[in-house]
Amino acid sequence: MTTVDTPVTAATAATATRAPSTLALLGAEVRDELKQVYREPAALFFSVLMPVAFFAFFSAMFGGETAGVGGLPVGTTMLATFGAYGVLGATMLTPGIGLAEERERGWLDVVKVSPVPVPLTLLAKVVATLPYCVGILGAMTATAAALGVLRIGVGQWLLLLAALLVGSLPFALIGLAVGARASGNATTAVLNAFVIPMAIAGGLWFPLEMLPGWMGSVAQFLPTYHLSRLALGPLEGGAATGSIGHAAYLLGFAVVAGAVAAVAYRRPAR
Amino acid sequence: MHPSLDAVGVTFRFAGADAPALDDVSLRVDPGEYVALLGPNGAGKTTLIGMVTGLRVPDRGTVRVCGGDPTSARTRLRLGAVLQDTAFPRHLTVRELVEGAAVRSGVPRGRAAGVLEEVGLDDLARRRSGKLSGGQRRRLQLARALVADPALLVLDEPTEGLDAAARRDFWRNLTARRDAGMAVLLTTHIVEEAGAVADRVSVIAGGRVVADESPASLTGRLADRTVSVRTALPAAVVRDLPGVLRVEETAGRLVVVTTSPEAVVRRVLHDDPTAHDLRVEAASLEEAVMAATDRMSA
Ligand SMILES: Nc1ncnc2c1ncn2[C@@H]1O[C@H](COP(=O)(O)OP(=O)(O)OP(=O)(O)O)[C@@H](O)[C@H]1O
Ligand SMILES: [Mg+2]
Repeated sequence: MTTVDTPVTAATAATATRAPSTLALLGAEVRDELKQVYREPAALFFSVLMPVAFFAFFSAMFGGETAGVGGLPVGTTMLATFGAYGVLGATMLTPGIGLAEERERGWLDVVKVSPVPVPLTLLAKVVATLPYCVGILGAMTATAAALGVLRIGVGQWLLLLAALLVGSLPFALIGLAVGARASGNATTAVLNAFVIPMAIAGGLWFPLEMLPGWMGSVAQFLPTYHLSRLALGPLEGGAATGSIGHAAYLLGFAVVAGAVAAVAYRRPAR
Repeated sequence: MHPSLDAVGVTFRFAGADAPALDDVSLRVDPGEYVALLGPNGAGKTTLIGMVTGLRVPDRGTVRVCGGDPTSARTRLRLGAVLQDTAFPRHLTVRELVEGAAVRSGVPRGRAAGVLEEVGLDDLARRRSGKLSGGQRRRLQLARALVADPALLVLDEPTEGLDAAARRDFWRNLTARRDAGMAVLLTTHIVEEAGAVADRVSVIAGGRVVADESPASLTGRLADRTVSVRTALPAAVVRDLPGVLRVEETAGRLVVVTTSPEAVVRRVLHDDPTAHDLRVEAASLEEAVMAATDRMSA
């Protein structure tokens, strides 16, 4: 260490610190989160690989059938259902596990002591899952094209992505709620135990018609079902009036999830 | 002008604990003042720092930082902190982490370079935080705490993991900051070094403040002196003198702890004219802190 022999920049009174804007703080947080994503590409790769491998497997088997909505190839409608599985998995697990780990390692305390409000840090974690979400849907789209089962316009594709991103936000809140209380390992286990059954029962992996009848009626109550229906809207084109109902359901789910997350976070941990 | 830190009557009990971790603790630090917060493990130092940094809220009492509530983000703009146990996001570099702290406090990121030099991390600016040694991580924490030139600097064991040379520079930098008007509160178990430059020491034990005064006044309260002399005389010669508390006889040397060293010196030199290598030492700050702690538990 060298010693400061020049006068230190006048402390205290002279420190005319102006609070940075919320947007500037969010930008700084998102940038740091993204840097971490890109500097550990293996995590990104495997999070994308899993759902895309499932997608490739199933669309290679049934993708060419035209049982899909509006006579679309199943391989195209699976972009909505498997896409929902992949995107909600990424937005739910990544921020939740990140929060749990940072809490365990003491970094969250550093954030709390800093001028950054904690909700901004959490929002940044969710925003930073964008590369995962785009990667997952992009890779599925490329797979469908390679299998010759892709029938979708650019505008539809962008709407599909938007529906998946917005519709996944309540799931991100659930992930954060768990991450606010449980350890990193426990968060991973708990959230996986949630995602996979919810994906199957909500009809994200297999069409509900293939499942026992009672599961079909249960599905109506699951947020995963409504997410996939919302995502199917842009593919159906024109008469997607049902989307409003699905969006309303997800909004209600978001309010509940937000309340749960706020309580989980406020109750003193440790 | 507000005190940089003003804690009054702070009481806090952890959920499920029988005794409060802090019991009616008051502590004030003014601009340009450096206060060392000393005390044994588990005394409540980190808990108090949690209140000062807004991580915890007292059950009773108040904490003000520069007149503001430390749980508000606005107040924390004026606070720099090194917490006891923290890790960094491991993929971010040293420079990114210091620049990030600057930007979030509303100061130009260009300030990072100077602070990195100040803490001796300029050569490691591009290294990822996950690849730093323990002492280097400590310096990085310090750099982040200093970069926005806070009004109040709070350091929980900043010397942990620092080697002797790094500690010497640390104390020097700290004094320079203090002299420039920064208020500093720090905890450490390296009592003598902390006391050498402290304006005040606040000793807490069992969640209570047991002393809050200048280091000189705290050591001055201990009347004990240690007389050490090389002599063939047996311990019995001095044991019954007035003021003698303890006598040890080791390898041709007598070590006597007493409140009246003169009587011991006179007797030894009278009985053994060949006695030599005579030393009379005042109590150390460490002994004074321990004595203050013992008084409280007695
Ligand atoms: N999260 C916690 N839950 C319950 N008790 C706690 C918690 N943290 C600390 N304590 C207890 O509160 C008391 C004060 O702890 P604190 O960490 O403030 O001590 P300290 O003075 O910082 O000690 P050290 O010198 O070891 O860092 C201790 O008895 C400790 O066991
Ligand atoms: Mg401590």
